[in-house]
Amino acid sequence: MELTDADLVARVLVDDDQHAFGELVRRHQSAVRGLLRQLTRTDVALADDLAQQTFLRAYKNIRSFRGEARFSTWLYRIAYNCFREDARRRKELVGIDEEQLQTQHDPQIANPGLRHDLMRALSLLPLNERSAVLLCCQSGLSHDEAARVLDIPLGTVKTNVLRGREKLKRMLADWGPN
Amino acid sequence: MNQEDWLDRELREAAPYIDDEGFTARVLQQLPAPRRAHDLLRAAILLGMTLLASGLAYVVSGGGRFISITLERLAALPVLWVFVLALASGLMIAAVGAAAAISQGRAS
Repeated sequence: MELTDADLVARVLVDDDQHAFGELVRRHQSAVRGLLRQLTRTDVALADDLAQQTFLRAYKNIRSFRGEARFSTWLYRIAYNCFREDARRRKELVGIDEEQLQTQHDPQIANPGLRHDLMRALSLLPLNERSAVLLCCQSGLSHDEAARVLDIPLGTVKTNVLRGREKLKRMLADWGPN
Repeated sequence: MNQEDWLDRELREAAPYIDDEGFTARVLQQLPAPRRAHDLLRAAILLGMTLLASGLAYVVSGGGRFISITLERLAALPVLWVFVLALASGLMIAAVGAAAAISQGRAS
């Protein structure tokens, strides 16, 4: 029987079992790296650096994980904090670096067309709307969970998701159903 | 199918599984040494230093005479002073506990 995240966390807590932590990293690396790639506007190298920071911080602070939320939600929160701290350092919280958008792209986004336009449209959203849409519509978090991750009120999350989706729909109107 | 469903589906599909490609190994390499070995070493050092300091204090204090002197002084203290000392100790321990609880809460 496969161990649950809670079982693995318990092993890390009790025995400092790094193999158990490795299994947690393996399970969640794709989701965390994916979220960070979207938040960093597909800067793969930066996203992976932040993902490493996220898991190292999770390991150091694993005692503060109380199991009230899903482990993945807790990780998203750490990842978002890592991203925000880095963005503050780089002063890139607002504004779009068009040059960066043109020169860097995610190698896993091989499909041109709709996928490309969607990624581009997402990257054009303001950070607050982009992060809310990513967490709720892509990562499958509830509004409440997203509010915890982003550390903002529930109503603000709902507003940001709504506005973000409306903007995406407008930007992708040519691809939508007629 | 409405447009919301279409957008949600595209958003989900736009997040493909990212292959590990050594990522987990790189994270594990950067983890600090396992706590067990680290804790044993720390405990041994603390125990050694405590024994050394105790031995030194015993010799310097003339065979531990200061203990009996201190106990005699404590016994001679008025009841009010003993109460104040106990209260102060209790408050100090409670403050340290509260600070630890607050820092744990902030970390989570």
